[in-house]
Amino acid sequence: MAILFGFFPVLIFLGCLFLLDSFKLVRVRWLIFCLIWGLLTTAMAYLLNTWSASLFDFDFKALSLYVAPVTEELLKAVFLFIMVTRRQIGFMIDAAIYGFAIGTGFALAENTWYYLHLGEGFDVLLAIVRGFGTAIMHGGTVAIFGMVLIERAQRSTSLFSGTSIGLVSAIVIHSLYNHFMVSPLLQTLLIIVILPVVFYMVFMATNNHLQKWLEVAFSSEIDMLRMIRKGQLKDTRAGNYLTSLKEHFDPEVLVDMYCYFSLYLELSIKAKRNLLLKESGFPVMLEPDIKSKLKEIRLLRKKIGKAGELALLPLVRMQHRELWELNQLENQ
Amino acid sequence: MNVTRTNIDDYLVVGLQGRLDTIQADAVEKTMLEILDQEHTRIILDCKEMDYISSSGLRILLIVQKRMLAVSGTLKLCNLQPSIQEIFDISGFSMIFTILPDLKTALKD
Repeated sequence: MAILFGFFPVLIFLGCLFLLDSFKLVRVRWLIFCLIWGLLTTAMAYLLNTWSASLFDFDFKALSLYVAPVTEELLKAVFLFIMVTRRQIGFMIDAAIYGFAIGTGFALAENTWYYLHLGEGFDVLLAIVRGFGTAIMHGGTVAIFGMVLIERAQRSTSLFSGTSIGLVSAIVIHSLYNHFMVSPLLQTLLIIVILPVVFYMVFMATNNHLQKWLEVAFSSEIDMLRMIRKGQLKDTRAGNYLTSLKEHFDPEVLVDMYCYFSLYLELSIKAKRNLLLKESGFPVMLEPDIKSKLKEIRLLRKKIGKAGELALLPLVRMQHRELWELNQLENQ
Repeated sequence: MNVTRTNIDDYLVVGLQGRLDTIQADAVEKTMLEILDQEHTRIILDCKEMDYISSSGLRILLIVQKRMLAVSGTLKLCNLQPSIQEIFDISGFSMIFTILPDLKTALKD
């Protein structure tokens, strides 16, 4: 019975988060990788904590309150950070789910260790505190790190601020949890009540944001591409802007910039269409020429260089979400 | 946006008039779900008087298509204005829906 309380709450919580992902942003393959990473980090954290305790002569209290939160959160965050840099995560929803999965893996391994180590001592009460409280805290902290990181990544090209704010938040929450300022059962109750509400609110807000983004961007990109295909771009503000760049760039570079803009619109529309299809439960569509077009847009990006990309910023804001979008086409 | 319903032959012809955008999407979705709940298995969406569609509108059409596929029903779109047809073509949605030039062809086909 105790083992059920120790293992299932966090898995059920993860399952609920997965079901809330209406745009199907999360891929099962990556979710499994996250769980495995979480499992592995338990062993790494154990070794690191034991090593640092013997090296710096920390007692158990210092280790639990200040050292373990740092090492564990750092280790758990590594994989999520890599996923963000590889544009595998685009929104707070997938960041939270993948993050929670890492924490789930960690908590499952940690609770297994406790169960095997304590034997009869792993009673129902301890299982409830560890299963409902500690395990969900482990998932929650990585999810928070992921949400902060992705939120910052969408605003800036540097991941430094997101990484530092996200990590500090995760470490502080973990450390505060380990302080047990109120009784463990009350703390567990607070986690069970607060965290789902927070996640639900974040998910709803992100879903609304995603729908608005799709609504605005999809229509305007189609309008723009339609103008390009009809040769009417020059009559638009975007066309006027491109024309104004004549004075600053060589004609060949301008042609590449025009092609880059046009190709970006085409690919971006297809990526958004696939999001809509996934949301409605349809399989995504992949035109046979997608791969070559993705290759082309990368080459064009290189050719126009940083200066060209900066000049095109009012038309193509190639930041995290846009790169994620193109990456989605590549990996489907 | 106005949604009209007419029974012609074996089909329920649903006329969409106006803009199918975010503002109208909820109301149209509700109407379409009501229609689907009446277990019609052959539906034609007559878009003759639909002059705008956004991603919210496309989402509704996808929901209808999904439900129709689940009951092995038929959903056809007809009379798309050129600008709307272009949206379907550019985005690739024209490969997902059966789009016919006019109502007569849709009823025959």
